[in-house]
Amino acid sequence: MPSSRFPIPQGTLDMLILQILSLEPAHGYGIAQRLEQVSKSVVQVNQGSLYPALHRLEQRGWLKADWRESETGREAKFYSLTRSGQRQLRVEKDSWARLTGAVRLIFDEGAAQ
Amino acid sequence: MNRIFNWFRQRRLEDDLDRELQYHIDRRVTDLIHSGLPEPEARRRVTLEFVGATQLREEVRDIWLNRWLRDFVHDLRFSARSILRTPSLTAAAVLSLALGIGATTALYSLVDQIVLRALPVDHPERLVLIDWIGFQYAETMGTTNLMSYPICRDIQQQTQFFDGVFCRAATTINLSTSGEPRLTAAELVSGTYFSVLGVSPALGRLLTIDDDQAPGSSPVVVLSYDFWKNQFASAQDIVGKKVLVNQYPMTVVGVAAPAFHGIDVGEVPSLWIPAVMSAKAIPGFETMLDRRTRWVQILGRLKQNVSLANAQTGLQSWFKAMLDEDTRRTNISRASAEHRREFLASTLALTPAPQGHSVLRQDFSRPLWVLFVATLVLLALACLNVAGLFLARGSARHREISTKLALGASRGRIGRQLLTDSVLLAFAGGLLGVVMAPIAVRAFIAFLPHDTAANDVHAHVDTHLLLFAFLVSLITGFLAGSSPALQAGRKSLDSSLRERGGTPSAGLALRRAIVTAQVAFTLILVIAAGLFVRTLSGLLVKGPGFDTSSLISFGIKPDLNGYSGAEESRLIRRITEGLRNSPSIQSSSVALVQLLLGGAWNNSLTIQAPTIQAGERYVTDREVQMNAVSPGFFATLGTKIVAGRDFNEHDALNVTAPNLSLPVSQSGQRAVIVNEAFVKRYFGGRNPLGARVAMGAAPDAKPDSEIVGVVENISYRNVREQWEQAYFPTGTELSGSNFYVRFRGTPESAFRAIRAILRNADPTLPISYFRTLDEQIERSLNTERILAALSSSFGTLALLLSLVGLYGVISFAVNQRTREIGIRMALGATRLSAIWLVLRDALVMIAGGTAIALPCVWALGRLVESQLYDVKPTDPITILVATLVLCSTALGAALIPARRASAVNPTEALRFE
Repeated sequence: MPSSRFPIPQGTLDMLILQILSLEPAHGYGIAQRLEQVSKSVVQVNQGSLYPALHRLEQRGWLKADWRESETGREAKFYSLTRSGQRQLRVEKDSWARLTGAVRLIFDEGAAQ
Repeated sequence: MNRIFNWFRQRRLEDDLDRELQYHIDRRVTDLIHSGLPEPEARRRVTLEFVGATQLREEVRDIWLNRWLRDFVHDLRFSARSILRTPSLTAAAVLSLALGIGATTALYSLVDQIVLRALPVDHPERLVLIDWIGFQYAETMGTTNLMSYPICRDIQQQTQFFDGVFCRAATTINLSTSGEPRLTAAELVSGTYFSVLGVSPALGRLLTIDDDQAPGSSPVVVLSYDFWKNQFASAQDIVGKKVLVNQYPMTVVGVAAPAFHGIDVGEVPSLWIPAVMSAKAIPGFETMLDRRTRWVQILGRLKQNVSLANAQTGLQSWFKAMLDEDTRRTNISRASAEHRREFLASTLALTPAPQGHSVLRQDFSRPLWVLFVATLVLLALACLNVAGLFLARGSARHREISTKLALGASRGRIGRQLLTDSVLLAFAGGLLGVVMAPIAVRAFIAFLPHDTAANDVHAHVDTHLLLFAFLVSLITGFLAGSSPALQAGRKSLDSSLRERGGTPSAGLALRRAIVTAQVAFTLILVIAAGLFVRTLSGLLVKGPGFDTSSLISFGIKPDLNGYSGAEESRLIRRITEGLRNSPSIQSSSVALVQLLLGGAWNNSLTIQAPTIQAGERYVTDREVQMNAVSPGFFATLGTKIVAGRDFNEHDALNVTAPNLSLPVSQSGQRAVIVNEAFVKRYFGGRNPLGARVAMGAAPDAKPDSEIVGVVENISYRNVREQWEQAYFPTGTELSGSNFYVRFRGTPESAFRAIRAILRNADPTLPISYFRTLDEQIERSLNTERILAALSSSFGTLALLLSLVGLYGVISFAVNQRTREIGIRMALGATRLSAIWLVLRDALVMIAGGTAIALPCVWALGRLVESQLYDVKPTDPITILVATLVLCSTALGAALIPARRASAVNPTEALRFE
């Protein structure tokens, strides 16, 4: 159901990519699929923002890429997390936790009244 | 950094992205087919999903390379292509900029090296020159900012202000190492010199405070690195070796650091000698410890926390006390009240001296700055020209720009494109300019005064200079490109469409004014060049008044080898004898003062003439130039004796006459020869023979020298001047050591013969100079040559630039008026009238420029009048020729676009209506 799917909020795509790649290296298509599967198809990722994001993260040195054989036997560009990417993921998770915590506090206060 | 790297691997990045996306598409199609869709439907869905692929690629490219960088690369390519499409315009612009940037860079190089560059020592900014302002009541030996050696020692005690103080004096010594002795530049320095400057040795040790003890106690020298390298082939065992300084043995104790070339950019010493050895380094100098002999410059290093002003104020109390003490200590007690007052009113001044001390700098810094500003003006003209050319092209590119605007290009983007054009041109010009700059610098260095000491000015291009040229090019590019870029940005699409054939834009009036000013400026420069060139050629034609071909002059310095007066006379007789017997020498003679070197011996004379009533005497109303010459001097030079006789051997045979200043012959007679100018001024053309003169103007001067001859006028200090002259015979008292030799055959064989004679007379004899008279004249006309060369090159540059400017503005006007001209021709105007329409425009500007320039020439003429010879600043022929040159070339430049106007095809021009 397309209407039940959300575009990824601005700024969170980078974090999600880092999170997925922290588990294991993957190619662009794999990342897109994994995002949909894990979020039970709630989160929809568009190639038009996925690939620029991947290249941006690579340019910043948080990801590194190499060509290797994929599960289908064809060569694909696999991305994996660098050390500074892991550090960045921790930072982003941290600030995300703080943000959602703050949002919850505000909601909770509204509910309490 | 990474992004710039990406620029070079764009192709690979693109390929990778293609493969990556293709993989995604293929996998998606396969997956959709697996989920049950038929293949065509799957492909359709994926194609829809990838509908924004182009934008995706663009976004990714922006990540690889910044947007502006990509645009810039694109602009650069586009600029290069469009610039190469119009080669003549490009050549004109690049040449303009190259001339401007080259001249500016060359002058900057000189300003930097001579005026600005700090010494390569520790914290040069804390070095100060300590100078006596006022009246010192002292004998002077040297150039500027001089004080006595004991004062330096006094100031060294002022440790609350200074970390250290040193003194120095430049001198020339006769140095024998092995082989021929040679005059060598040296610096006499206090023992603190190296430690205060913070220079380290490359080998051995440098001078220390221990070398500052009693006079004569420290016979050691330190060599400069370059001298050690060139003269001793970098011999490692040099320390401990002996060298002869004016025949006195001194020990080499060390070599200074390679980068250190002394503290005077104009006089690089080859070695340093302790000041306590000054009596050996300067023969006859015994007054090192005298407070009334000033001969050293004193420099100090301020303490870290002491400001210059504080030190200067703080020093005055000590200085006043010293002045007070001095008046009792020395013979100042006998000075006149006036002198005494002046002496006591003296103060001590500190000036920053991070560049050391240099007479060359003092002499040249102002002219160099003036020239630098002049080159900046030239560069500004070049900028205006290029801006003009771009405006002209901009109007030709009107359609292109309008189309781009209509297609939605931003104005900023188009402006940036135009700016890229001019920056690219500026860099091309800058590159050419950097190639030309060293040539100009080398030409200038050739004009610098050069003596025994080399100067430290070079014509090489270093990173410093490249950076300067780069910055100048960048700024030039922006300045030249900004007005067309702004114009492109300002014009609205609507108005630019309407303006197609309309009235000339307002900018054109301004540009006409600029070109008019340019023409005026150029005409002034061209006239100046004409005046200076005529001065130089006039002086060359006039000459010194004698035949300089086959004449050699050389000087010896027997006093440096410790000759006494009588020994010197014998030596000179021996050399004269040798010259007389040489087959390649026709005649020779000696003079006390060297000709054409700017120096002279001046004094008043008291004249007593027998034609006037006995006892009547008068004093010359201005100082007469005097020289002492040997018999045959005038014959050697080829100067005619117009009345009376030459000196003979009897005139020159002296008896000792200690209290008299003029030589006496055996018979007790003294002889003097005067020149025609002297006769004209003081005898009104009457016969002066038999009249008597006395040296000086004192009332008790005894006129006991008889005028025995009159000679033609010859140049003395320089070629230009014609003055009253009086000659005395040489002898023991007035011994000459400047030889004038007329030779047969080639100068080379004469040089060889003379050198052999000198070696025979004394193999260690120092020779101070050795050159032909032609070369001497050349040297003495140095200033005139500099002025002629500089004004000519500036005139030529300005002329070229204003031609380009005129061309630019006229072609711009032609482009603007194409429609008008087309209509006129459609209505029956001839080609000639079309040309006239355009030329009229040029003529107005040329005439306007000339009208501005001529009054300026008249007003400015006063400033250069003293530099001219035999030509007035308002010389009509020079002005006429210069104006003709300017007008004809300017019309030529205007004719090119004018011919284009005449070729306008009416149908073509009106088609867009």
